[in-house]
Amino acid sequence: MGVELSPKMQEFVKEVFPAFIGTSRKDGSVEQVPVWFEFADGSFWINGGTNRGWFKHLQRDPRITLLLVDPKQMFRWAQVQGQMVNWAEDPGGEHINHLSHRYFGRDYQNPRTGRIKIQIEPLRVTGSIDGWG
Amino acid sequence: MAGAKPELLLSPQVQRLAALPIPMVMATKRADGRVQLNPIWFEHIDGAIWVNSNTHRSWPKHLQRDKEAALLLVDPAEPDRYAQIHARLVEVIPDPKHEFIDRLSRRYTSNLFRDLEPGEERITFKLEPVRVTGQMI
Repeated sequence: MGVELSPKMQEFVKEVFPAFIGTSRKDGSVEQVPVWFEFADGSFWINGGTNRGWFKHLQRDPRITLLLVDPKQMFRWAQVQGQMVNWAEDPGGEHINHLSHRYFGRDYQNPRTGRIKIQIEPLRVTGSIDGWG
Repeated sequence: MAGAKPELLLSPQVQRLAALPIPMVMATKRADGRVQLNPIWFEHIDGAIWVNSNTHRSWPKHLQRDKEAALLLVDPAEPDRYAQIHARLVEVIPDPKHEFIDRLSRRYTSNLFRDLEPGEERITFKLEPVRVTGQMI
């Protein structure tokens, strides 16, 4: 079952910086990439393409880890262990455009076709925002 | 810090990124198979990646069990530009006089590391790049 973020975490996830995600390849090794994210309605939402390696990993093993680090103060960080609970087509790229506005305050500049949005339920939060865990 | 050069050298672009005092994301695997991600200090010296930790933390235990890790560097000016370095653990060096963590601390903060806590033991890891993926190969 998902967990609710603490009040401190709910404030932290409003800040604008990329999340680093980690997924597991078939051989057990980790793939990491930076992605845009938004926290809304109790879940983390990220955007990708069905051809991405990390999305293929999630279809096989939905477990995903997000690392959030304040780029100006790296001692402010949180690690979120989570799982993909849903994904959907992003017709017209509405969601990626929404994220582009969160990060840059402007429309998404790249092609908006073939995009998907992914819902991640947080299961466990550790790191310095909530105290060390 | 001298020694044989690793077989895989980082590209000039990745070396420039690795010269910056930016956090590196250390990815290890927990016993249950979940990915663990931690932001850590590092230094790139003679083609190897050097990191340091408190022996009581979990990622150093995972790293010593698996002898490998994935390391992520992201260009702070342009997060679309990143390099993921798969590395193998080649050396484990106790740091009882906290010399290496002081060196890392100076690289990031210009100051020596804080006083160690009671029972805190520092340890240094040397990692050799095996494979580089991402937008800055």
